[in-house]
Amino acid sequence: MNIGLDVGSTTAKIVHMETGEIIFSEVVPSHRWRELIDDGQDEKRIISTGYFRKKVPHFTAITEITAASLGARYHDPEAQVIIDIGGQDTKVIDLRSNTFIINDKCSAGTGAFLELAARYFDIPVDSLGDMHQRATKEVQINNTCGVFAISEMISQLVGGYTMEDVIYGLHQAFARRIAQMVPPADKVMLIGGTVQNTGIVDAVNAVLDSKIEVPIAPQLVNALGAALYRERSNSSR
Amino acid sequence: MKDTVGITALVPPELIYACGKRPLDVNNVVPGSSSSPASKLCAWTAVWRDMILSGELDIDSLVVVAGGDCHNALVDGQKAELSGKPTHYFFYPFDGDTDYFRSQLEKLSLFLGGVQDDGIITRITDLKSRGKALDEQRVNDRARASDVFSALISFSDLAGDLDAFERTLDSIPEADVEYTSRVALIGVPPIYPDFHEVAEGFGLHIVYDELPYEFIRLGGCDLDSLARNYTKYSFAGPIETRVWFIQDELRQRRVDGVIHYTQFACHHTLEDEIFRQHLDYPILTVQGDLPRPSSEQLKLRLEAFAEMLEVMP
Ligand code: SF4
Repeated sequence: MNIGLDVGSTTAKIVHMETGEIIFSEVVPSHRWRELIDDGQDEKRIISTGYFRKKVPHFTAITEITAASLGARYHDPEAQVIIDIGGQDTKVIDLRSNTFIINDKCSAGTGAFLELAARYFDIPVDSLGDMHQRATKEVQINNTCGVFAISEMISQLVGGYTMEDVIYGLHQAFARRIAQMVPPADKVMLIGGTVQNTGIVDAVNAVLDSKIEVPIAPQLVNALGAALYRERSNSSR
Repeated sequence: MKDTVGITALVPPELIYACGKRPLDVNNVVPGSSSSPASKLCAWTAVWRDMILSGELDIDSLVVVAGGDCHNALVDGQKAELSGKPTHYFFYPFDGDTDYFRSQLEKLSLFLGGVQDDGIITRITDLKSRGKALDEQRVNDRARASDVFSALISFSDLAGDLDAFERTLDSIPEADVEYTSRVALIGVPPIYPDFHEVAEGFGLHIVYDELPYEFIRLGGCDLDSLARNYTKYSFAGPIETRVWFIQDELRQRRVDGVIHYTQFACHHTLEDEIFRQHLDYPILTVQGDLPRPSSEQLKLRLEAFAEMLEVMP
C-alpha cells in the first residue's frame, strides 16, 4: 500500500492506494493532520505534499506541482492544463510543456478570497455554489484585486442587487483573474477543494474557451498524485 | 589610490583600466544589501542610487549606461548627477553600428581623462580567457555553478583590482558536480545572493548564466577592435539576435530546462512571452524584487521545476 498525504494551508488529505486503486481517503482541517495517520504507521509508505509537506512524517516529500501533475494524469492521461485552486495560492500547470505559474502574491483567484466574501455575508463558504445558482441578474464586478472586489461588491449590494447576484459577479471576477494565467488549451482540469464550489466551475467554464473537466473528489488529486509518485518509485525499483 | 568609476551596466572595463581608473560595477553591492528603498521601481537601481546618494558607495564618478540598458538606471543615474557626482552617459547602438559605438568609446575615454596604459588590456584578456575556461569547466561538470557565477559576475569590473581578482579566480576549486538536471539561467542576474546555492540544493546544475557570460567577451586591444567586440553585446541589441544567441548556447550546453529571471517592474519581464515562443525547453519564470535570501516561494518554484524536469516525461 502507498500513502499520499497532502497537508495544505486549509485542509489535510490522505489517500491510500493499492495496486493503482484508491482504497481509502479522508479530509480534515490542516491542524488535525495527525488524525489521518495511524499510530505506528509505517513512515516509509508516506509521500507527503502540500505547503506543510516537510513538516509531517514522510519517506519522500514532493511539491504540489508534481503531485497535481501525476494525480491529474491518473484521471485523464490526455490532460493538458491543470488549474489548482488552493487556499492561499493558485497554480496553473501546463503538462504539454512541463511549465507552471503560481499566483501566491495576490489573494484574488485563491480560496482565501472566497473565504473573505463568505465571511462578509456570514455564510459558510461551501454555500457559495448554491447562491451562485440562484442568481437572476449578472452583476459586473470589474476589479481583479481581492480587496477592491469586496468593496465593489458592497457598493453593488448598496445599489440594490441581491446577495446571490453579487456572489455570481464575484465568481466571474474570480474566474477572469484565473483566466489570465491559463494558456490556450483544448482541455483544462480544475482541481483543489475550492472547485467543489459549482459557481467557480461555471464561471471558469464561461470565461475560458477550453473544455473544463472536474475529477471526482477534486480536493484529493494532490494526495492521490503523491501516492502515485510512490507507485512510480516502487515500479522502478 | 586610483579614481573609482562606478558603472551601472557593462562598460568595456578594458578602456576604464587603460585610462588608469578603477571600475566598480555598482550592481555588485546590491545582493549584499538589506535595504528597502523608499522610491523604487526596480531594487537593483534603487539600492545603488541610495548608496551613492548617502555616500555609502564611495565612487569618484559614474558612467550610466543610458542606451541599450534600462530607463530606471537612467533616471536613478541622473539623481546621482544632480547630487553632484560627475556623471557620463554611455550609449550602445541598437543597430550594431560600430562607427557610432567607436565614437561612444572616444567620448568615454575623454571623460576618463584619456588612455594612459593600453598594455593593461593584455592582462585583462588573459583573465577573461581564464573566465572562459572556468565557464567551460562547469559545463563539463568540473566546477560548481555557484562558484563560477560569483567569478563571472565580477567580470564587468574585474573586482576593480586585477591582482585581487586573479587570486579569486585561483581560489575556485575543481569539483565533481552531481546533479539531476542541467539548466540555463537567462535574463538579468538574480538579486537573491543565494540563488545558485539554492538551485544546487534541488539538484539543478546551472550551466549557463546569460548575462555574466556576456561579460567575459574576449577581443579588443584598441578602440576599433573594442568597438567591434562590444557592439555584439547581445543584451543591448534586438531580442531576435539575443534569442539566436541563447538558442545556440542552450544546444551546446545540453540543457534540460531554462530559468528566466526578471525583476519586478523591469521591461525584461515583457520578453518572457518571446522566450516561451522561441525556446523549446521547459521554462520557469522567476520574478525577484528586493535583495534578500531566497524566499520560500522561490524555493517552491525551484524545487517544483527540478521535480518536473526529473519526473515528467
Ligand atoms: S533588472 Fe531591469 S529594471 Fe532592474 S536594473 Fe536591470 S534592466 Fe533595469
